[in-house]
Amino acid sequence: VTDVLRRLKYWTESARRGEALRQEMELHLAEKAAELQEAGMTAERARAEARRRFGNVGLKQEESREIWMTQFLSELGQDIRYGLRTMAANKAFSALAVLLLALGIGANTAIYSFMESILLRSLPVADPESLVVLNWHSRSPQEGSKEWVIHGLQGMFWPGDKGALLTGIFPYPAFETLGEENPVFSTLFGYFNGHNRNLTVRGQATSAGAEYVTGDYFRGLEVSPAAGRLINSEDDRAGAAAVAVISFATSQNRFGGPPNAIGQSILVDNIPFTVIGVTPPEFFGVDPAAAPDLYLPLHTNMLTDGARAARMYGDGNFYWIEMMGRLRPGVSMAQAQAALAPRFHQWVVTTAKTGGERANLPALILNPGAEGLGSLRRQYSKPLYVLLAMVGLILAITCANIANLLLARAAARRREMAVRLSLGAGRFRVVRQLLTESVMLASLGGTFGVLFAIWGVRSLTLLLSNGQENFTLRAELNWKVLGVTAALSVVCGLLFGLAPAIQSTRPDVMPALKDGRGGGPRRRAQHVLVVAQIAISFLLLVGAGLFVRTLNKLHSIQLGYARENILLFSLNARQAGHRDPEMATLYANLRKRLESIPGVSGATFSQSSIISAGMAGGAYRGTMKIGTVSIAGAGVMAAGARFLTTMQIPILAGREIDERDQTGSPPVAVISERLARTYFGNENPVGRRITLEDEKRDLEIVGVSANVRYGGLKQGSSMTVFTAASQFSPDRVTYALRVAGDPLRYVRSVREIVREADSRIPVTNVFTQAAEIDRTISREITFSKLCTGFAVLALLIACVGLYGTVSYSVARQIGEIGTRMALGAQRGAVVWMVLRRVLLLAAAGLAISVPAALIAFRLVKSFLFGTQPNDPGILAMAAVVLLIAAILAGYAPARRASRIDPLAALRHE
Amino acid sequence: MGRKAQKNDSLPGSLDMLILRILSRRDLHGYGIVQFIQQSSDDELLVEEGSLYPALQRLELNGWIDGVWGVTSNNRRARIYKITAAGRKQLAVETRKYAKLTLAIARVMGAE
Repeated sequence: VTDVLRRLKYWTESARRGEALRQEMELHLAEKAAELQEAGMTAERARAEARRRFGNVGLKQEESREIWMTQFLSELGQDIRYGLRTMAANKAFSALAVLLLALGIGANTAIYSFMESILLRSLPVADPESLVVLNWHSRSPQEGSKEWVIHGLQGMFWPGDKGALLTGIFPYPAFETLGEENPVFSTLFGYFNGHNRNLTVRGQATSAGAEYVTGDYFRGLEVSPAAGRLINSEDDRAGAAAVAVISFATSQNRFGGPPNAIGQSILVDNIPFTVIGVTPPEFFGVDPAAAPDLYLPLHTNMLTDGARAARMYGDGNFYWIEMMGRLRPGVSMAQAQAALAPRFHQWVVTTAKTGGERANLPALILNPGAEGLGSLRRQYSKPLYVLLAMVGLILAITCANIANLLLARAAARRREMAVRLSLGAGRFRVVRQLLTESVMLASLGGTFGVLFAIWGVRSLTLLLSNGQENFTLRAELNWKVLGVTAALSVVCGLLFGLAPAIQSTRPDVMPALKDGRGGGPRRRAQHVLVVAQIAISFLLLVGAGLFVRTLNKLHSIQLGYARENILLFSLNARQAGHRDPEMATLYANLRKRLESIPGVSGATFSQSSIISAGMAGGAYRGTMKIGTVSIAGAGVMAAGARFLTTMQIPILAGREIDERDQTGSPPVAVISERLARTYFGNENPVGRRITLEDEKRDLEIVGVSANVRYGGLKQGSSMTVFTAASQFSPDRVTYALRVAGDPLRYVRSVREIVREADSRIPVTNVFTQAAEIDRTISREITFSKLCTGFAVLALLIACVGLYGTVSYSVARQIGEIGTRMALGAQRGAVVWMVLRRVLLLAAAGLAISVPAALIAFRLVKSFLFGTQPNDPGILAMAAVVLLIAAILAGYAPARRASRIDPLAALRHE
Repeated sequence: MGRKAQKNDSLPGSLDMLILRILSRRDLHGYGIVQFIQQSSDDELLVEEGSLYPALQRLELNGWIDGVWGVTSNNRRARIYKITAAGRKQLAVETRKYAKLTLAIARVMGAE
C-alpha cells in the first residue's frame, strides 16, 4: 500500500516535480560551467561547453517526466480499452445503465443550473464582493402597539426571523444622512423600482420596466456604458434636464443598436426624456428578478409621478428608496454595520413622534450585495432545494440500481477476477480497473445527461414562466454547471462501482475458482440496495401524491366567477397622459367598443383581475363603516359596467354597477353575500350606506352579489365591495371580454380597437382568465407535474432493480426449487415462495420509508394546500401502488421459477 | 504489487548500478554523482551528463533512492540523493548479475 501511495504522490505532485527537476538541471549546468571556468575557459565558452556535455536539456526533462507519467497513463489506457470491451460485450446492461444515469445526472444538472443562476451567480459588475445591501428589520406593528414610525411606504417587506419584518426601503432623508462623510463606503447609491411605464419611441408605445436611480448608481456599480454616457449626479437634481439610460436590449429592439439611440427623444409616461446612454449587454441592474429597460434619474419621478413624488423627498416617515454601498478597500461588512447602525438609529429616533413609535424602531442591518437583491432567492430557493432533494433521490436510486446490477454481474465475473488475482494481479490494480469501468459508464451517462439537461432546462423554464412576459429567470449550462456535472458523474461512478469492485475481488479466490458462485454477503448487499430503492420510490410517490392532491384541491376551489372563455388584458391610460374625468370616459367608451366585436358577448373592466386583486391592492384601504360598525377584512374593487354579468357572478338582490353610475352621480356599491350576511343579518342591505372614513363619502348599496374568491386562490376572502370605476377611477384597468371560442383569437381585434382609441396606450398582460388563475399557482402546477414524473421514473428504476435481483436469486435457487417440485411442491407454492421474498423486501422498504416520509414532508408543509404531510389516504395509496409494482416486477421471475423442469434442474445441480 | 520494476537498460556497467553503488557510500547531488563517476574511473567512463536525470527519476520511482532538498559542499541548494534499504537490495542483485555477466563475457573472450 505504501508503494501505491508513493506512486500516487509522484503523480499528483508532477507539476512540482517538473519544477524541481528543472532547478536540479540548472544547478548542474552552473556547477559544470564554474568548474570549466576554473580550468581556464571564458565564462561564455564554459557555459556552452557545459551545455554540450549535458546533452539536450529539454529532451532529458521529457524523458524524466515520462518515467513517472507513462506507467499511470499506459495502465489507464489498458483499463479503458478493457472497459470498452466489457461494455461492448454487455450491450444491454451498458445501455440500460447509461440511460438511467443520463436521466439521473441530467435531472440533477438541470435543477442545479437553476440553483446556480438564482442562488450563486454574482452581479456582472466590477468587484461585486465589495457591494452591500442596506436593510432594516423591526417587529411588525400588529404585535404590541399599532404605532409605527412608518406612516407610508412604497415597496416590499418580507418575513425575517421570529416574526420580524425585513425590508430594504428607507426615507430619502435617511439616504442623505447615511451618505454624508461616509467612512466605510466609497459610494452609497439609491434606487427604486418604477415598475412598468409607458415608453413611446417614434410614436410607438410599449410597456417598459423602469428603475429610478441616484446619480451615484452607475459610479457605485462601476459599470461603463455600451454607448453614450451613464447617469451622474448632475442629472439627478430637481430641475435638471430629463435624461434616460436604456438597456442594451431596448436599444436594439427600439432603435436598432446602441449608437442610434443616443440623443433620441422618448416619452416616458408621456413626459419627454432624452436618451444619453446604453448599459452594457450583460447588465441587468441590481435585482436579478427585474432587468429594467429604462434607467431614470431618481428626481425625475417628480415629473412622471407628480406632486405625490415631490412630497416623498422631505418626508422622514415615508419609506421608499432602496440603497446599496460599495465598501472602501479593507473595510469589512461587520465594520460597516458597526459604523452605520448607530448613525441610522440616531436619525430614526428623531422621526419618532410618540412613545409608541419609539418603542419599535427599525434597526439597520447590512447584507452582502454581490448577488444583488434577494427577491428571486426568496421566491425560488426553497422550491429549488425541494426539487434538488428529489432529483438527488432519483440519482441515489439510480446508483443503487446500477450497483445492484453490477453486483449481479460480479457473480458472472467472479471467476474472471479469481483467475486474474491468482495469476498475481494486485487487488488494488483489479479494483482500479473495475472502478475505471464504472466511472466510464457514469461519464457516458453524464455526457448524455447534459443533452437531457439542456432539454430539461428549457422545459422547466417554460413551466416556471407560465406564459409570463419578461420572465427574467434564465438558467444556462455554463462551465461551472458542467464542472459540477462532471464531478457528479465521477462520484457516481465511484459510488456505485466501489462496493461491487471490492466484493468481487475478495481474497478468498479458492471457492470462486471451484464453482464460480457468490456467497452470502453479496446477496445481503443486494437486498439492502433493493430495500433502499423501494424506500426512496415510496418517498417520491408520497411527494407526488401530496403535490397532485394540492393541485386538485386548488383547481376544485369554487371561484364564484367564470374561469373559461374570458380574455383579460390591461391598459394604463394615465401613463399615456390621460387625466380624470376624461380618463373614466375613455375607459367606459372603450368598453362599449369592445362589446361590439363579433363573438364578444360581454365586456367589462376592473382595477385588476379578480385573482390578482390581493396583489394589486384594493381601490380603497382606509376604514369603512356601516353606521358605527367598522367593516373588517373586506376588499374593495372598482369595476366598470356589467362586471357581474360578464364574470357570471349571480346578482342576488338589487342591481349591478352599470352605465347609470357616472362620475357625477351618487356613489354606489355592490356588496357580496357574505358581507351582507355578516353586517346586515337577514335585513335587505339595498338602500343602506357604507361610509368611507378617509375619503369622507358615503356609498349607497345598490345590490348584493354572490360570493367570489377575491384575491389569491388560497386566501380568497368573500367579503367584497364593488364600487363604480367611474367614481373611483383607477389609473390602470384590466378589461375582461366574455367570448365564444378561444379567447386568444380576439387579441388582434382588441389591439386594433385600442390603437384607434389612442395609439399611445400599449395593451399589456394579455391572458385568458384560466391562464391568469394558473399563473398564481404556477409553483403547485410545476411541482405536481415534475414530482409525478420523478415518482414514475423512480418506480420504474426500482422495479427494474427488483426484477433483476429476484431473477438472479431464482437462477441461484434452481436446484432448490427443482428439488421441492420433485418432492411434490405445487406451482402456486413456488410462485408464492418467490413473491413472499419480494413482498418482504417491499415491506422492509416501507418500514424504513414511512417514518422518513412523515418527518421529511413536514418540511414542505408550506407547499401544500388542502392536505396534510401525513395524509393517511395518500400514504396508503403510495404503499398500494408500490406493492402492486413490486408484485408485477416479481411475478415474471416467480412464474419462471414455477415452470422449472425438476429433472433439468436436478441435472443442473 | 504484481508490477515489474521499471526497466533499466541493463547493459554491463549500467548507469543505474553505478549510481546505486556511489550512493551506497555517500549521499550526493546529481552533479556530484557525475563528477564522482568520472573521477573514480579516471575519465574512462564518460556519461552523457543529462542522462543522469532520467535515471535518477527512475530509481526514485522504484523506491531505491530518495531525494531531499539540501545544501551542497559549496553552499548551493540541491537535491541530495540517499540510497534506501530497497535500493541496497537492488544493488546486491545488480552486482551479482553484473559479476555473472562479466564472468561469462570473460569466459567467452578467454575461450579463443
